[in-house]
Amino acid sequence: MSDSRMLLAIFEDIEPASKGIDTLHNLGLSEDQMNVISGIPVKETILGRRPSRTHVGIIAMSGAVLGLLLGLFLIYGIPFLFPLDAGGQPIYPVPEGFIICFEMTMLGLMGFAFLGMFVDSGFPSYTPKEYVPQISDGRIAVLFHCPSGKQKGFIDALMKSGAQSVIPAEANQL
Amino acid sequence: MSAIAKPLVGSHTTEQEDPREHLMHDPLPRGEMNAMVMDSMHTTTWKYWTLAGILAFLVVTCLVYAWYILIMQGLGVTGDNRPVYWGIFLVNVVFWIGISHAGTFISAILRVLKIESRRPFTRAAELMTTFGLVQAGLSVFMHMGRVWLSYWLIPIPNERTIWPDFHSPLMWDFMAINTYLLCSTMYLFLPLIPDIAMARDRSTGWRKTFYRILAIGFRGTEGEWKNLKTAMNIFAFAIIPVMFSVHTIVSWDFAMATRPGWSSTVFGPYFVIGALHSGMAAVAVVLFMIRSTMKNMKYFIRPEHFDTLAKLSLMVSMAWAYFYFNDYLVPWYGGDKWEKILQDFTQRGPIGWLWYFMLFCNIVVPWSILWNKKWRRTPWLMAVVGLLINIGMWIERYVIIPEALTINRMPFTWQIYIPKLEIFLTIGTFALFFLLYLLASRLIPLIPVWEVQEGQEGHILRKIGKAHIPTVSEID
Repeated sequence: MSDSRMLLAIFEDIEPASKGIDTLHNLGLSEDQMNVISGIPVKETILGRRPSRTHVGIIAMSGAVLGLLLGLFLIYGIPFLFPLDAGGQPIYPVPEGFIICFEMTMLGLMGFAFLGMFVDSGFPSYTPKEYVPQISDGRIAVLFHCPSGKQKGFIDALMKSGAQSVIPAEANQL
Repeated sequence: MSAIAKPLVGSHTTEQEDPREHLMHDPLPRGEMNAMVMDSMHTTTWKYWTLAGILAFLVVTCLVYAWYILIMQGLGVTGDNRPVYWGIFLVNVVFWIGISHAGTFISAILRVLKIESRRPFTRAAELMTTFGLVQAGLSVFMHMGRVWLSYWLIPIPNERTIWPDFHSPLMWDFMAINTYLLCSTMYLFLPLIPDIAMARDRSTGWRKTFYRILAIGFRGTEGEWKNLKTAMNIFAFAIIPVMFSVHTIVSWDFAMATRPGWSSTVFGPYFVIGALHSGMAAVAVVLFMIRSTMKNMKYFIRPEHFDTLAKLSLMVSMAWAYFYFNDYLVPWYGGDKWEKILQDFTQRGPIGWLWYFMLFCNIVVPWSILWNKKWRRTPWLMAVVGLLINIGMWIERYVIIPEALTINRMPFTWQIYIPKLEIFLTIGTFALFFLLYLLASRLIPLIPVWEVQEGQEGHILRKIGKAHIPTVSEID
């Protein structure tokens, strides 16, 4: 994208932000050329954007399966490797197995949901990023690629849609 | 016959409740709310440092020093002796696990059911879970005596070919409590990330570095929010059954033994409801302390929140009474000799007054106060009720553990348990809990500001007929 420049349009609220996104669409920008940054979660459909995909659910389910396998290994695999007679009870306890397998499955599910959130979002990341602190004060920012030479037209159109300001997006240390 | 509704005598038909009494209908600009929360975190008076100093002193003397004595001299310096080998340490384990349960449970169940009044106090409740579990863990290690061998609990093969026995409820406990501790801590951290990012944007110096590390680079892009909300939803649903499993398993530590007072099929749900009873009451106490000691908190924590908690508490108290009666009735009706002796000892023995005081705190107090809306919305009264319920629930665990152990099928061993060093260690764990909370209150935002703003965005007043009705739209 050497022939474009990143701009950050800042909006007071959801309504002007959705109008601003419409304006960017009308100016020919595709969904992939813009990103919304906000201080609260705003559904993509509210802003007229295509819903994005998340892999957290899939990763969490994989974790649940791994957790179940770990539980099965603990309860059945280990007594097989290290047989231990305890009070005449069976070496492979079935009802107790449910307890261990349940705990390990849930640990896997939640542990991987947590990790999945990190992996899918690219966390932790301490490199400079395009951001302004007003976002956590409730503003909504739209970060977009502006084709070179069309900067003024984009800024005027966005200001007309209700943007508070449109500034060049600079990557800063958060 | 048709019934005709008549106006209430003396009612003020034109008088309407001010919707701004509800936090969700009294919005402030986000920047102002952020500033209020940051201000509350940065304000420390001499009272704060005095309290922190007292608590730190109690931790050093009652926890660290007393534990040192315990390690150096052995468990003989405690009151644990035949037949009561499980004394106050185990009472504390069950009590703190109970306290920790309601924290995450309240947050998770209210999130799943989309109860809007949850928004400002979920973090305070979640924090209680993590700090409560720390105390429970410490109590287990104290009870071990030879704490340096605690790694034997971990299910790894060792050179002695000793393998943790999965037939034992204590092993299930280890797995369940650790699962709950890890998951609760992750569940506490997830919704904290956006607030940490907010704090990062408003801090300088060492705080900026601290928050920058903890915020892990969060900006609030669409993808980040989507991933965060998905993970939070998974946690909210999944942690509820884990919570139920943990306290059921804790109850099995007792119920799996065939001894009077313990062998009960109803112990699982009875323990779960007991945990909720003490935990919800503890949330009310903590909220009162936050509201009355921290700056700007009266805006976020309002009588409506105490009202919500009190209604839940009343319901849980009734359920607890039902389970208690159920657990009491069956052994009484069964007529087993040893059960009968134990019940007589509990009610008419030398410490029988504890049993009556427990019923007073857990049933009489909530039932006589929490039915009244005005009282439910009085924060100091809710704190008093919460405190009494917690005292009652601690006593309940005392009645279940050391008192039940006093009576067994070998009368020549009967001996009343008199706690010694463990009293100091108990004081130490309580001091550590409050000290951790006190320190956390100045380091992390206790109010999830983004969740409050999210809720306020979705609330409007809708005019229906002559009235303006608070209405919520599901925007998340």
